[in-house]
Amino acid sequence: RETMSTAAEKSTKERLLSVLDDLEVLSRELIEMLALSRSQKLPQAGEDTQILELLVQRDREFQELMDVAQQQGKVHQEMQLLEKEVEKRDSDIQQLQKQLKEAEHILATAVYQAKEKLKSIDKARKGSISSEEIIKYAHRISASNAVCAPLNWVPGDPRRPYPTDLEMRSGMLGHMANLPTNGVNGHLPGDALAAGRLPEVLTPHYPFQSMDVSVGMLPPHHGNDFGLEPPGHNKENEDDVEAMSTDSSSSSSDSD
Amino acid sequence: MNHCVNRTTIFAGAHKEQARNRFQSELEFIQCLANPNYLNFLAQRGFLRERPFINYLKYLLYWKEPEYAKFLKYPHCLHMLELLQYEHFRKELVNAQCAKFIDEQQLLHWQHYSRKRTRLQQALAEQQLPQQPPPPHGNAPTK
Repeated sequence: RETMSTAAEKSTKERLLSVLDDLEVLSRELIEMLALSRSQKLPQAGEDTQILELLVQRDREFQELMDVAQQQGKVHQEMQLLEKEVEKRDSDIQQLQKQLKEAEHILATAVYQAKEKLKSIDKARKGSISSEEIIKYAHRISASNAVCAPLNWVPGDPRRPYPTDLEMRSGMLGHMANLPTNGVNGHLPGDALAAGRLPEVLTPHYPFQSMDVSVGMLPPHHGNDFGLEPPGHNKENEDDVEAMSTDSSSSSSDSD
Repeated sequence: MNHCVNRTTIFAGAHKEQARNRFQSELEFIQCLANPNYLNFLAQRGFLRERPFINYLKYLLYWKEPEYAKFLKYPHCLHMLELLQYEHFRKELVNAQCAKFIDEQQLLHWQHYSRKRTRLQQALAEQQLPQQPPPPHGNAPTK
């Protein structure tokens, strides 16, 4: 039993057991002595009283140790109660942790969606145009049949969703071409992006109108163009011819 | 909004006229691009291969912004301009058949525009219909 002890005290159990062992040994000795004393005289004088004293001492120790053991038992019980308490608190904390995590997740999602919404609001705001302008523009591109063909259009009708060479000639570029070719170059400020001059091709000496017989384009005689137009469309074409860039206000540099 | 402000800040008063002219000439030129025959013309004369011209086409993309786009009478030109950014398209335009094909398709699109649009609107309306609760009375809701 001695071998199991460390620097610290021996456990109560060990001590109890060792005391019991002592008691056992002492009792055996006493009984042997008593057995011997029947047949022979006591070899040693006060050995029996010594043993008895030891016995009593050991018994006292035993009782004390039992008390200690009992108290230790009570303490152990308390410890167990407290452990249960701790377990309960632990599980409570875990529960709260779970709920916090969930709440965080929900909030994160909500914040993310809110941010997305704000982004799209921003985007919409950036792209906003006054409805009046949109209607004006819609009217412009529809009234001139630029986007949708006139309902009575048949092949042979010279109208197109793009400027015809007649219109091209009648525009500013077409008129610029009547100047000497240097003039075309001179009209452009040195714009780095444009990287140089506007091609002279804009001078309307291109012959493509003659290639387009199959599409039914007419030779660029002013009279013929309008001769084939149904009445009521003449005015439109005249507008077309005058200037492709309509709205004089568009080219004004006055403020607004 | 003064469209000229962006382009005019570099130029002082006397250059306002110049800037105005440039605006108008660029407005006219970009709309010419809606004409596939003109594009074919440009391609055959090699303009579409010149680096300065290609840069110019890229520069013209500013017409896509709403404040500039609202001056365009022929919006097809914007689509052509976008296509012109691609080398493959510029190369193909040298062929007269290519230009003819584009012209035909463009005209067909132009002719069938309103029909296609009503069909598209109908399809959209049908898509949304099941989500709307039916009105209690007999009148159908008009969109």
